[in-house]
Amino acid sequence: MIDRSAIDTLRADFRLRLAAATTDRDLKALDDAFLSRRSGSVTALLKQVASGPPEERREFGRLVNALKTEIESALDGKRAAIASTRPPAGAVDVTLASRQIPMGRIHPLMRVRQEVEDIFVRMGYEILEGPEVEDDYHNFEALNMPPDHPARDMQDTLYLGVPIPGGIWGAHRGRVPEAQVRTATLLRTHTSAMQIRYMKTFPPPIRLIVPGRVYRRDNLDLSHTPMFQQFEGLVVGRGVTLADLKGTFEAMVRELFGDVKVRLRPSFFPYTEPSAEVDITCQSCGGAGCGTCKHTGWLEILGSGMVHPAVFEAVGYDADEVTGFAFGMGMERVAMLKYGVDDIRLFYENDVRFLEQFPL
Amino acid sequence: MKVLLSWLREFVDAPDTTEDIARLMSMRGFAVEAIEPFGDGDTVIDFEVTANRPDCMSVLGIAREVAAAYRVKLRTRGASPVAASAKAPASLAETARRRGSPHGPKGSAPESLDIVIESPILCPRYVGAVADVEVGPSPAWMQTRLQAAGLRPINNIVDVTNYVMVEMGQPMHAFDHARLAGAQIRVRPARAGEALRTLDGQLRTLSPEMLAIADAERATAIAGVMGGGDSEVTPATKTIVLESAYFNPLSVRRTSKKLGLKTEASMRFERGADPGLPAAAMARALDLIETTGAGHGRGRVIDRYPRNIKSVVLRLRREKIAGLLGGAIPDRDVRRILERLGFTLDPASGGWRVVVPTRRVDVTREVDLIEEVARHYGFDRLPTTFPALTAAAPPLDPRITCARHLRALLTTAGFFEAVTFGFIPERAAAPFAADGDLVPIANPLSELFAVLRPSLLPGLVDVVAHNRRREQRDVRLFEIGARFTRSGGERQSLACVWTGAAAPEHWSGTGRPVDFFDAKAVVERVGQALGAEIQTTPAREPWLAAGRSAAVVANHARVGVVGQLADALVDAHGLPGSEPVYAAELDLDALALAAGRVVRVEPLPRYPSVTRDISILIGDTLPADDVRRTIREAAPPTLVRVAEFDRYQGKGIPPDKVSLSLRLTFRASDRTLTDAEVQAAMDSVLSALREKHGAVQR
Repeated sequence: MIDRSAIDTLRADFRLRLAAATTDRDLKALDDAFLSRRSGSVTALLKQVASGPPEERREFGRLVNALKTEIESALDGKRAAIASTRPPAGAVDVTLASRQIPMGRIHPLMRVRQEVEDIFVRMGYEILEGPEVEDDYHNFEALNMPPDHPARDMQDTLYLGVPIPGGIWGAHRGRVPEAQVRTATLLRTHTSAMQIRYMKTFPPPIRLIVPGRVYRRDNLDLSHTPMFQQFEGLVVGRGVTLADLKGTFEAMVRELFGDVKVRLRPSFFPYTEPSAEVDITCQSCGGAGCGTCKHTGWLEILGSGMVHPAVFEAVGYDADEVTGFAFGMGMERVAMLKYGVDDIRLFYENDVRFLEQFPL
Repeated sequence: MKVLLSWLREFVDAPDTTEDIARLMSMRGFAVEAIEPFGDGDTVIDFEVTANRPDCMSVLGIAREVAAAYRVKLRTRGASPVAASAKAPASLAETARRRGSPHGPKGSAPESLDIVIESPILCPRYVGAVADVEVGPSPAWMQTRLQAAGLRPINNIVDVTNYVMVEMGQPMHAFDHARLAGAQIRVRPARAGEALRTLDGQLRTLSPEMLAIADAERATAIAGVMGGGDSEVTPATKTIVLESAYFNPLSVRRTSKKLGLKTEASMRFERGADPGLPAAAMARALDLIETTGAGHGRGRVIDRYPRNIKSVVLRLRREKIAGLLGGAIPDRDVRRILERLGFTLDPASGGWRVVVPTRRVDVTREVDLIEEVARHYGFDRLPTTFPALTAAAPPLDPRITCARHLRALLTTAGFFEAVTFGFIPERAAAPFAADGDLVPIANPLSELFAVLRPSLLPGLVDVVAHNRRREQRDVRLFEIGARFTRSGGERQSLACVWTGAAAPEHWSGTGRPVDFFDAKAVVERVGQALGAEIQTTPAREPWLAAGRSAAVVANHARVGVVGQLADALVDAHGLPGSEPVYAAELDLDALALAAGRVVRVEPLPRYPSVTRDISILIGDTLPADDVRRTIREAAPPTLVRVAEFDRYQGKGIPPDKVSLSLRLTFRASDRTLTDAEVQAAMDSVLSALREKHGAVQR
């Protein structure tokens, strides 16, 4: 008598163990346990076929063989399944950390500078750098600030202990008579000094931006540094008007800050008349009024005005023929508003953890 | 300028709230710095008065601007609070009661004062008057108003002078008549070395370029700046001399600067007081002394005006208004605005003839009038246009394009851009300049900013130290900017520093610290980018480690240095000496001259190249440059490239020798080289190396 239930038991046992198998080694063990010629449990059943009653042999043999075939093909199937999950030769773990390409950052003040330069280049401006050490004439006197002018107090000046030769500008424009500061005695308090050098060298029309560092005798605090970065703008020609100045600022501010409002407020600078300070909608509150804008809804971003006729006279232009506008804007101010920086000193600490917050 | 709202309203009826007034006035050129409640329902508005508007350093001046802004009438004689205030009559009565023996009525006694102006240029006008007084506290309302303006009440006489100054803008002074020798006021230059104890208790030494107010004997006040302690009004004072004068702005400014003494009076005089005002201010002061019960004027008011300052008369042309502002302003607006500000207009061809009030020291040209019109017309009402392009833009400054180039290059090489100050401590600067070549700042803020930087490196090394203290071990930084020496003047410079790992840490391998050749590669890359071929030759710098420093040469000119910072320097900036810091600095002005940017394309090679490797034993101090030069000189022109690819010292190599392996690449442009040709070249190369350097082939 052959026990047919043994076939079912074996089948159930195989299926359970197959489900648990995850590796080739598991499959080999299963193959051995069930199909091994010497010790396989299915092989053992097949051996029993011959010893069974003749009338059952045929049927029993068929059933055991069916089980054997089933096991073989199940093992093949699982083997293929496992093989398909294994990485191909030479595969890598793509989730491992990459080999970093080191990346530095452009300083946020220089990002702002390049952005402003680009805006004005698109408007047809020339961009020039000027010397940082200057003489009294170009920094003050020719800008309608004779010695002892009270307006000199507006900019506390740092003087050099010894006069030195200054820097060179405009070498690419050929022979420039005002190219070199002959005897520099002070650190320029504004980029406006270049207005004089440029106008003494080139005739109108002029469309000029001069970015650069300027120096004042200010102590370091949340909003002051003894050195800061400015843009000087100068447009001179026939029929240049205050209305043109308004239009230019509106275009610039829109590009720099997006959709914000611009307003001009009368002010005073010795080298412009009329003079205006330019405000934009406060970036913190959107114009509703907050601590940042002293509850006015506006933030000052630059000083500007129509070039004073005395300045034209100093450089030998005919003040009756040409008009012009000029402006000076602080890069720190723009960067602080644009990036939400509340302490100007961060720009000069150069903490890498600060710098790397700006995209390349 | 702190203005009490109730005081302002005595002169002008502004219909709006404080906030609205502040908003409108800031659009008329008077930014409001603060609005603060004051006392019983009153408000102080702090207006920022620009340096050109001394006429607005007074309640009346601000009121005139408010009147123009609101198009309302200005009451030039304010209703005196003595009558207007409910409290005032009581205080007046009280003062009157307290007054003991009344002085004689005004004008009953001679003024007993003599005024001599010896320096009419520095003092064009001096108004003086004598008053008999009883010194005591001023009325409460006056004290309150002075406090609102930021002034400390002193006594009823000094307070009156200050009150008139705040109200009308005319600084005044009161002397104790009894203390004036000879009952005389002499306006004269101070004598050399003349001493005066000023009201603040300081003993000051005067000099002849200062203007003094003196009596018959000595200086008793510094004109327009501060009075003297000796002639100060005290509780014992019975008779005073009041001063209401106009002093030369430049003279007051110089004196104030020289003495380091800034006062309410000097701030007004140095910007320019109104020469037309002293008499009116004196009348107001005498009136206040009278009505507050402080005393009575005695005799005439003396008005010495040796140099009459005339009103400026200007032409104002319609065409110029439109030409400057970009839009025409209606005639009636021009007239209304200027007249409300006190200008007198007469029609003239093309516009007007305008008489400028003497208080408007800022208005000297037509353009100043146009500003007044624009200011009160409103900048916001002007059109908005865009300037027309009438010429092609000149080329970009190569210095700017170069800086942009370098920024892009160095940031992609892992360097962060830093911006540091142009002045540094002298100690930090000293190693970077020859003796006496540093540029000191004459008036530095502190020792931290004592000299102009002769190099960008001290600043950058400080930034390295800052970052190292904040757990950043690997730091790469660069800066582009000016540096300064006495001999070289201002030069544009690029500096780089690199400390820590040569490459970011990775699981695949062990890291390596940065070394000289990493730093040299940066310098070469900069040269490549700017079109200059860079060479390095050994050089010594006091701030670089010996044996690890090189001069950077481009086109036979020295353009910079590269190397490891000296331990002493690293140490001085608070960095651990154990980790080397490599640095390079290039003179961009010099590099620009060495750079050639013209691009000419060469045809690509059509025939294959042949490479040969050689290994030689040479002395270990022989520069690789010499070896390459010998090879190039010995080889035919078909040698197109030679580069070392291995250098070995140690086992199997004699102690003072080094094994250097080089790869030579040969190629001809017109044929395929034969083995024999290359071999012949190699033979002559090897024999040259043998002869020149005693090289032994391995």
